[in-house]
Amino acid sequence: MEKMRMMLVDDEERFLTTTQKLLAKKGYDALTATSGAQALEILESKNVHVVILDVKMPGMDGIATLKEIKRRFPLVEVIMLTGHATVESAIDGLKSGATDYLMKPTGVDELLAKAAEAFEKRQRLEEKIRMAQTRKIMKSPREILRDAENP
Amino acid sequence: MGVNKRTNPSPYAALRKVILASMILVPFIPFILVLAIGYINFTASLESNTIASMQRIVDDHRQMIESFLRERKSDLDFVLNTNTFEDLSQSPKLERILGYLQNVSNAFVDLGVFDEDGVHVAYQGPYELTGKQYKHTDWFTEVMKSGYYISDVFLGYRQVPHFIIAVAKVDGNPKWVLRATIDTQMFNRLVEKVRIGKTGEAYLLNADGIFQSDRRSGGMLMHQDPDYAKYAVFHQGIKTFLGTDATGKKYLYATTWLKDKNWLLVVRKEKADAFRALRSAAYLIVGIAVLGGAGIILIAFYLTGRIIGRMEQMDAEKSRLGRQLIQATRLAELGEMAAGFAHEINNPLQIIKSEQSLIEVLLSDLKEKGQLKESDELADLEDSIAQIQLQVNRCAGITQSILKFGRQAEPVAKDVDLQQFIPEVTGMVAKKASVHGIALEQRIADDTAPIHGDPGQLQQVLLNLYNNAIDAIVARHGSMGGRLMIETGPGENQHVEIRVTDNGCGISPENLKKVFAPFFTTKPVGKGTGLGLSVCYGIVESMGGVMSVASEEGVGTTFTVRLPAVVV
Repeated sequence: MEKMRMMLVDDEERFLTTTQKLLAKKGYDALTATSGAQALEILESKNVHVVILDVKMPGMDGIATLKEIKRRFPLVEVIMLTGHATVESAIDGLKSGATDYLMKPTGVDELLAKAAEAFEKRQRLEEKIRMAQTRKIMKSPREILRDAENP
Repeated sequence: MGVNKRTNPSPYAALRKVILASMILVPFIPFILVLAIGYINFTASLESNTIASMQRIVDDHRQMIESFLRERKSDLDFVLNTNTFEDLSQSPKLERILGYLQNVSNAFVDLGVFDEDGVHVAYQGPYELTGKQYKHTDWFTEVMKSGYYISDVFLGYRQVPHFIIAVAKVDGNPKWVLRATIDTQMFNRLVEKVRIGKTGEAYLLNADGIFQSDRRSGGMLMHQDPDYAKYAVFHQGIKTFLGTDATGKKYLYATTWLKDKNWLLVVRKEKADAFRALRSAAYLIVGIAVLGGAGIILIAFYLTGRIIGRMEQMDAEKSRLGRQLIQATRLAELGEMAAGFAHEINNPLQIIKSEQSLIEVLLSDLKEKGQLKESDELADLEDSIAQIQLQVNRCAGITQSILKFGRQAEPVAKDVDLQQFIPEVTGMVAKKASVHGIALEQRIADDTAPIHGDPGQLQQVLLNLYNNAIDAIVARHGSMGGRLMIETGPGENQHVEIRVTDNGCGISPENLKKVFAPFFTTKPVGKGTGLGLSVCYGIVESMGGVMSVASEEGVGTTFTVRLPAVVV
């Protein structure tokens, strides 16, 4: 089974490095980005399953980043990390396509639990896609050939 | 502000004057105008009525006097023409005729017959006048000339005031004269008879202003009228005028000259008497003006007082609302600021928490690798790190409470049926209550009206009260003998009352004053933020209700929430 790959996006660099170290200790591979733009850049080149995204960031804020991620990489699961205890900002995020939300300050175990959940969801989705593709191949192998001829 | 207040006690002083002045003047002007016009018209009509009635009286009276004189003359004419001189020269016959005449009118006093030389041939009456010579008297000359004569009142031979009517047979042969004396007393009564009002009177004057009849208000028969000069002028018809007599009294006069005799009939009445109705009308109008004016002024003062009072009240209300608004705005700003701080603090807290976790992981790694030996110092270090985690979580709890307190989310209000809603909320703490051995009792009155508010907020309030009550009960009873009661029912003024009563440890009087103050708590450090009840208080107030508390130490506490009922 594929190993979960996470990306942490927050403007607090110390938080990123410490959490990254912690996750590494727990055996998880995590990328970091200090801004929304950087996060999108990384997503272009690397395969990331779950993004932990801070809502409040200078420049491109969390919600805008979330929308952009969902537009360009719809399969990437996003968990919002909010300093506001208000449900409103969390609801905003969920409406825009976030999988879940976490409130600061959050423990690393809590973070991992939510991330694992999101990853599972992603896995299920990919499984379904695979199943569908398999069915398609079984139904008309010729189409596959045609697809191969005219990409 | 204080100085300003002293120099200007009421900012409405000027307005008050304007309102008062217009409220008095505006009704006063038409009021006075109506009264004045009414008075003028009324007096004019009354005056003309009074004068007309005087004229009618004098006219009637003149006709009566004239007809009296005419009748007496006719009586004599009849006797003259139906009897001969010789017949009447005999006393018995004359006596009989006088008797007849006196039957017709008792005004006849005596009757005499004169020959053409003025010798009193025969006489019948109370005096002894037979044989007296009248040839050169004015009356005899006159009667012989025109055949008819009425004298003024005079004394004559008898030295008693009287007047005579004489008729002469001038076309026959021999010429002779019949003369009768008229009872002045009786004539007087006839003339005087007019009575109009208290001071009305009538009298006759001859052409020289000598009284021909008595005047009730003074003026003897045959005396000179001192005021005669005023109305001596001869005139046709009836003349009315106002005049002052010798005694200085003002009279309304009506005069007319008799047709057959050169006598002036005067009817007069004191002006005050004649125009008595006028005076009472004037009194009435003055009375109405005074009373009405007083009424207008009183009402103006009363209404002005009310208006100004109302305006001042509204001003006070406005400034009170202004103060409230400022307070509310300040509170909202404070909330927002606190929320901002809390949010900013959450970021470093997050880092501390992460660092603490990392330290823990690193320590356990080091221990695993055997690079750290178990020692007291290591145990202290681990304890210290655990303490950091504890304190970070405590901070997190505080910031989250502050964020809730300062949260600006609009509550979604709707009608809440308390009879259904309260058992639901109570159900949420039922488990917790039973764990602590608390008997939970609900008394939901059937006439508990619904309220209007955000159900989430109401739930927050109730849960807060329940949890406080449970904490208080546990503090006193441990896990046995606790009682928690929730009652609802209608309150005063269309309100609904929700009472949460516990038999917990109670609140001391000095703490009771502060229970709703933010950040006030009696719970051990780290257990409560002191925001719960103040948030509840704010919520209840925002629903238009009030929250109060009654408590006795060692007995229990009752929190009462009063909310406006939804009128169905």
